[in-house]
Amino acid sequence: MRELSPRSLPAFILIGFVVLYAGMLMVIPFLTILYGTFAKGLEPIIATFQDASVQHALLVSLLLSVIAVAVNALFGLITAWVLVRHRFTGRKFLDALVDIPFVFATPIAGYAVLVMFGRGGWFSPTLFPIVFAYPAILLVKIFVALPFVTREIQPVLEALPPDYEEAAYTLGASRWTTFRRIVLPEIRTALLYGIVLTFARVIGEFGAVSVVAGAIEGYTETATTFIFRALKDRDNTGGYSVSVLLCILSVVILIVMNHLRHRALDQR
Amino acid sequence: MSITLQHVSKSYGTEQVVRDVSLHVETGELFVLLGASGSGKSSLLRLIAGLLPVDSGRILLHDRDVTALSPQARGTGFVFQNYSLFRHMTVADNIAFGLSIRKVRRAEQRAKVEELLDLIDLHDCGDRLPTQLSGGQQQRVALARALAYQPNVLLLDEPFGALDVKIRAQLRTSLRAIQQRLGVTAILVTHDQEEAFDIADRIGVIDKGELLEVGAPTALYQRPQTSFTATFLGTANLLQARRNGTRVYIGDANLPAPPDTEHLSGQPVQVLCRPEEIAVSATRAEADAIGAVIGAGTVESISFAGHLQRVTVRLTDGSHAPLQIVLTPGDSRALALTIGQTVWLGVLAYHLLPLS
Repeated sequence: MRELSPRSLPAFILIGFVVLYAGMLMVIPFLTILYGTFAKGLEPIIATFQDASVQHALLVSLLLSVIAVAVNALFGLITAWVLVRHRFTGRKFLDALVDIPFVFATPIAGYAVLVMFGRGGWFSPTLFPIVFAYPAILLVKIFVALPFVTREIQPVLEALPPDYEEAAYTLGASRWTTFRRIVLPEIRTALLYGIVLTFARVIGEFGAVSVVAGAIEGYTETATTFIFRALKDRDNTGGYSVSVLLCILSVVILIVMNHLRHRALDQR
Repeated sequence: MSITLQHVSKSYGTEQVVRDVSLHVETGELFVLLGASGSGKSSLLRLIAGLLPVDSGRILLHDRDVTALSPQARGTGFVFQNYSLFRHMTVADNIAFGLSIRKVRRAEQRAKVEELLDLIDLHDCGDRLPTQLSGGQQQRVALARALAYQPNVLLLDEPFGALDVKIRAQLRTSLRAIQQRLGVTAILVTHDQEEAFDIADRIGVIDKGELLEVGAPTALYQRPQTSFTATFLGTANLLQARRNGTRVYIGDANLPAPPDTEHLSGQPVQVLCRPEEIAVSATRAEADAIGAVIGAGTVESISFAGHLQRVTVRLTDGSHAPLQIVLTPGDSRALALTIGQTVWLGVLAYHLLPLS
């Protein structure tokens, strides 16, 4: 298609529309939150972050997210490996299954956990509680971000010719050594990218978590469920402050992702 | 270190890719497996390296049965067509990889890497990444990497397939020199007959997974046992004939039967005449003076192939496909052939094949 001259009226309107659209959807809400946070000065913000329940909620979010990322990194890697390097009946079905968390509304995932592990559920636990406790939050966090690592690694693994590993085998390297010294360096950037995406997804998860956690203050409350409660309780500064913190985290994640993407392009 | 295959077979599902192959490659020999793509030659190489499990048969490296061993335990050096160098490692680290796996001391590794970089003529490239090298240089590094831990045997899967003609010729000369200097037993797989003729001690011709013939390059070219080998190695004119008594009858013409072909007596046979072994004459008398005359024919086409002239002639009796003939510059000048001209053909050397 012929490119419009940047000084022409249609181009001006088009560019203006895109800038306005992006601004309305992304910049203005962020500025509103920022304004809401600092509207009453720094004191209420400091008070918010000194509040034990807020600190606990942030800690729960962070710790459970880190565990969910670790689990997804490991299983995502194994899943990608199995899908690319093995041929078996049902492989295509499994491949399609991986994307389910992308298309599922997250409260449904939370509801499924409630039905399975809640009182009277098929897998109702006897030793320790799952729902309205940390395990359920962890489970749904793992579920919602399941595809990222797999989907990032899969194309890189597919592009890696099998000769590459076979060369290492003929040189005497065991399967594990080959994976560690030959395959892992090749997929490292994709793995990191998948991990960062997973973290971004799990730290901000609200729908499924609010269903399974019960948002018990000082126990199962996470950063996102705290924001919800704070806004409901008209604690605007509290809600805005934690929101800004999550936003800053998102910007950092965005920068890291951009850096990784450039690194991946450089490697090609 | 010799390589022995005993009745080795391999199938992928219902497709048999290697059929009952038996072969013995002597220590220090460079054996070339020659076949078209899909002939099973690469599969056979992978079976020897242990990258594929055999369905049946045995593989012995220096009389030791390695059939059940993993590729790691077989100690074969393998060179792949697309080099398969480890992209994130320097050239030196690539070469040292096999040594580091074997926990060879670092100083020793460095010395070996230097020695091999000298051998492949890439002294100053140790610190470079593979992507900073040309295709030919990468393949030399792949060779050095495969040789670093002094493998029992060297297996090369179309090692020059991805390179241009000039580099290919240079590399095979240096591969041959290195292989002879180290005395390592090698099997090279290729579809390129020129490459095979250039470096092989012996050639094995493989088709549809079957090892059809094994022999020295000249023997296979001049005296093949199958029409596949005859036509696969160079251009072949195959004439339907019958061997009776001491003569071979081709249509109205007859030639003396070559020695050692009594077993074909009384049978329909094929006479193999290579294009350079057919003499073209303007008259019957001249043809008689040169060799055994097979008949008169009409020139159908004339083309130039570098310094040689390619001519196709259809025998007048029409019983055979047009014959491919190659003329030297001297002959083509003397004859000054034109299309449609009638000429007499004589054969200088020929070979009998059973009719397959």
